[in-house]
Amino acid sequence: MKTILDSLWGVRCVWLRYFDVFRKSIRYYLVTSFTEPVLYLLSFGLGVGALVGTMNVNGVPVSYRSFVFAGIIGQTVLFQGFYEASFGGFVRMYYQKIFSAMAVTPITLSEVLWGELLWDASKAAVAAEAVTLIGVAMGDFAPLALLTVPPVAFLSSLLFAAFGLAVAARAQSIEEISYPQYLVIFPMFLFCGVFYPIESLPGWLQWVAWALPLTSVVSIVRTLTLDFPFQPWAVPILAGWLLVLVAYSRKAMSGRLVK
Amino acid sequence: MAPLRVSRLSKRYRTRNGGTRDGGTLEAVCDVSFDVSAGECFGLLGPNGAGKSTTIHCITGFYPPTSGEVFLGGIDVQREPKAARRILGVCAQDETLDSDFRAFDQLVRYATFFHVPVEEGKRRARALLERFGLAEKSAEQVEALSGGMKRRLQVARALISEPGVLVLDEPTTGLDPEVRRVLWQILMEERGKGAAILLCTHYMEEAERLCDRVGIMAKGRILDVDSPRSLIERHMGTTEVEEEIRPGAIWRRPPNLEDVYLKLTGTRLHNAGEAP
Repeated sequence: MKTILDSLWGVRCVWLRYFDVFRKSIRYYLVTSFTEPVLYLLSFGLGVGALVGTMNVNGVPVSYRSFVFAGIIGQTVLFQGFYEASFGGFVRMYYQKIFSAMAVTPITLSEVLWGELLWDASKAAVAAEAVTLIGVAMGDFAPLALLTVPPVAFLSSLLFAAFGLAVAARAQSIEEISYPQYLVIFPMFLFCGVFYPIESLPGWLQWVAWALPLTSVVSIVRTLTLDFPFQPWAVPILAGWLLVLVAYSRKAMSGRLVK
Repeated sequence: MAPLRVSRLSKRYRTRNGGTRDGGTLEAVCDVSFDVSAGECFGLLGPNGAGKSTTIHCITGFYPPTSGEVFLGGIDVQREPKAARRILGVCAQDETLDSDFRAFDQLVRYATFFHVPVEEGKRRARALLERFGLAEKSAEQVEALSGGMKRRLQVARALISEPGVLVLDEPTTGLDPEVRRVLWQILMEERGKGAAILLCTHYMEEAERLCDRVGIMAKGRILDVDSPRSLIERHMGTTEVEEEIRPGAIWRRPPNLEDVYLKLTGTRLHNAGEAP
C-alpha cells in the first residue's frame, strides 16, 4: 500500500510540474489548444452544415452540424493527445532531457512516464470538454453530455497520447514524427467518421476504419451526445488499443532512455 | 557504511550498430568498487568512453547494473530507488535544466520532488541563487542565461535537497576560471558540511585541488585509486617531467596528476633524460 501511495505521489509531482507550466502559459495554451477545434466547428458545422442540412444516420435523423460537432470531439482528442505526446514528448525527452532529470530524484522513470501520459490525456480531455460545452451551448447536445463525455475523452486521449509517446520514443529526429502524422493520424482524421458516416465508404474501407481506434471513439461519443445506437464492439476495440499502446509506449520510451 | 558505496559494479549493454569490444555487447563498466565517505571528495578521472558516465547512471539508479550493487546511505538504489535517492543530488554532464521554468521556480519545483515543502523550497532557492551569484537572474527563463550561468544553476539545483551524496559529472566544463573557483569553494563548503562528493572531471588541476582520493578509469575499469599525492609519488616518483610545449621548447617541471592519468590510460609523457 505504501509503495502504491509513493508511486501515486511521484505521478502527481510530474503532473503538477506540467500543470505549473500550463498555468504560467495559459494564454498561449488557450489559443493553441482551442483555436483548431473551434475553427473546424465553425467551418464544417456552420459552413458545410448549412449546405447538408439534416441527415439520416443509422435510422437517426440528425443535423450535419450536430453530427460534425460530435466528430470534432474525436478529432480533438486525436490531435491534442498525439501532438502533445509526440512533438512535446520528443522535445522533453531529447532536447530538454527532463525525463532523465526527474528520474534521478525520488521519482522513478515509470512514474515520470505515467505523469507524462496522464498530463497529455488531461489536457486533451479538457479541450474535448470545451468542444462539448460549445455543442451544449448551441443546443446540439443535451447538457448531460458534459458529464458523460469527459471519461471517454480522457481514455481516448490517453490512447492517442500513448501512440504519440511511442512515436517520440522511436523517432531519431523530430522530423521523423511527420511520418506517423501523415500516414496514420491524418488518415484516421479523414476516414474514421469525423465528417461523414463511415457507412458511406466501400465495405473493405469500413473494415479498415473500424480497425483504427478513432472510429470507436467517434462512435461512442455520438452515442453519448446524439443518442446514436450503441455499437458494442467499439468498447473492446478501444480498450485493446489503449492497453497495447500504453504498455508499448512506456516500454519504448524506457528502452530509449535506459541502457 | 559510507554514504556512497559502489560494490563490484558491472554494466554491459547491447550497442545499436554492433561496433563493440565484445561482439554486439559493450562492457561499459567492469567490476568497479569504491566508497565515498562523509566529508570526502572522490574524483573519477578517465578519457571519454572510460565508463564514468555509465557508472554515474548506475549510481543514480537510472541504469540497472548487469551485476554488483550501489548503496546510497546504506540503501540499495536498485531495490529502493525512491528512498535511496532522497539523499542524492545529481548534476548531469548534459544540460538538463527545465527550460519551461524561470531560474527560481525551477529550483522550487525540483525541491518538491524531494518532499521539500514549497515554502522551505523557496527559502532554499533564494539562498542558493544568492550563493551561486544568480540572485539577479532568479526571474529569468533558463534560455536567457549564459552557458556558465546555466551550469551554476544546474549545480545549485543538485543542492536544493541538501543531499548527503553529491554526484557531479563535469560540473565546471565551459566555466571561466573565476566562476570555476567560486564553484570549487562551494563544493568544498559542502564537503565541510559532511557531504560525500563524487566528482567526474577532465580537469586534472581540479581533481588535484578538490579530491581527497582519485580513481583513474579506462575501458570500464578502475586502474588505481589513491590520493592525488600518493598516485603521483607511486607512478611518477619525484623525477622532473620533460615536456615539449612547442617545437624546440622543452619545459621541465615536477610530475602532476595529469602525468599519472596519461601514463595509466595509455598515453604518456617522457621523463627527463628518457628518449621520446
